[in-house]
Amino acid sequence: MSSPEVHTKRNPAQFVLPVVIGLLSLYFIVKAKGAVFPFVLSAALAYILNPLITYFEVRGIKRSYAVAGLYISAGAVLFLGVWLLMHFLSAEIQDLQQTWPTYAERLQAYTTNLNTKLVKSYPVLGKLGLEAKLQHLMELVPQLLVSLLPALTLLFIVPFITFFMLIGGGGIIDYLLDHLPARHSELILHIASRIDGSLGNYLRGILTEAFVIFLIAFTGLMLMGLNYAAVIAVLIGFSSLVPYLGAIVGAVLSSIVAYLQFGTLLPIIKILGFFTGIRFFDDWFLQPYIMKKAVDLNPAVILLALMAGGEIGGIWGIVFSIPVTCIIKEILQIAIELQETEFRWKPKPEPTRISIPYT
Amino acid sequence: MGFLNAFSRIYDEEILHKLDFLRNISLFEGIKKSQLIHVLESLQERTYLKGETIFAQGDIGRALFIVLDGKIALSRLDAAAQKSETIAEVAPGEFFGEMALLEEMPRTATATAVEETKVFMLFKIKLDSLLFSYPKIGVVIAAQLAKILSARLRALLEKPAEN
Repeated sequence: MSSPEVHTKRNPAQFVLPVVIGLLSLYFIVKAKGAVFPFVLSAALAYILNPLITYFEVRGIKRSYAVAGLYISAGAVLFLGVWLLMHFLSAEIQDLQQTWPTYAERLQAYTTNLNTKLVKSYPVLGKLGLEAKLQHLMELVPQLLVSLLPALTLLFIVPFITFFMLIGGGGIIDYLLDHLPARHSELILHIASRIDGSLGNYLRGILTEAFVIFLIAFTGLMLMGLNYAAVIAVLIGFSSLVPYLGAIVGAVLSSIVAYLQFGTLLPIIKILGFFTGIRFFDDWFLQPYIMKKAVDLNPAVILLALMAGGEIGGIWGIVFSIPVTCIIKEILQIAIELQETEFRWKPKPEPTRISIPYT
Repeated sequence: MGFLNAFSRIYDEEILHKLDFLRNISLFEGIKKSQLIHVLESLQERTYLKGETIFAQGDIGRALFIVLDGKIALSRLDAAAQKSETIAEVAPGEFFGEMALLEEMPRTATATAVEETKVFMLFKIKLDSLLFSYPKIGVVIAAQLAKILSARLRALLEKPAEN
């Protein structure tokens, strides 16, 4: 039996191939990032859906049938939902395109009026040219909405790639696990399960949370008789993927639409009350229940992550900033723990000792 | 017959074998078959080739290993004699490294695959998750773990008397 103290000397040449493959992969990702992007999204979706497949797998259903079953049933429901939503959305977007000039005119008249009053009282504000800036923004809104439409193609590509990732993913992961360095596989798998625990719970939690908020917002706004309830609810749902943003986006957008639609203050107060209610419901009930096992991030850290994510990768950078922060936080925590154990920079923890012998 | 054929194509027999296997592990004694599914969900499967070291004496333990197929040798280094001695061989259905589920402390022996060996790994973090999500399963595992440790301690104390 070989002694554990004896270590085989490593030949540096054995690292050449993995390093070359790694560098080539990195070069490929940088050069073809546009093509790689749907695969990143698909991998994220496959990661989120995998526990559902595992659920059926451990109950005896073969993986390929579990994936096919999930796609047929969930796909049918989702397709119907998306089709209905698109039906709503296309009618509402068309309506918005037609009515937008009138709304923009009213909004501009209101701000011009306000601006004149403000400039009269505080002449320094006149130099800022608020009116011209607002007019420019108003012209940009319809263009922005139309520019979002190409992103919808991802809705068809991503599930397609995810399907194949889910079917073949298990085998690839098993292969990789079996080829981890044997001696370190326990530590590597420990780290992977720690990250998986917090990140998986976060992603599944935030998706559930965004969906629940979308449903509440859609129902509430429909009941209030607000125009474009579906568009606003979808935007609230998507913006809920970014912590704190959902309710703010909802309150601002709905208040503007309510002002343009009703022209009185009461509906705006109702809407603000409704979104305050959503915010509290989210904080007090939804998050403690859904996110109880997820990483607990400080609001200041979330803000920093969102700003840095936006700076690095635009809108997708913002979407991915929190999951990436989760990973970084977990890795940092593990690194600190490893200091005490593996790296031995700190003395090892003492085992529990009891003076009374076994009786 | 057609229905049975279709069912056998969809149904994975291997899962049934794995569940039967887990039912015979003393650590999971008393857990219902339907609940064993949750245990199976928490286990990580891995194959070690002949001669590979699973962990070494002094490494921090983080998982319990259940031998599914193959054989594992446990050896301990005698510090005084600077010699490694095989203290046990673990066969299919047996498990080792359970101390890692209680404390993240250094391993007291080295585990090496004597032949190509398939193991199930139960990580402490997964056990914690089981304890909180399915307390009924958690209670059984904790009680069995206490029983096994007590039996090992008793065996250790009774050893000199036997000699």
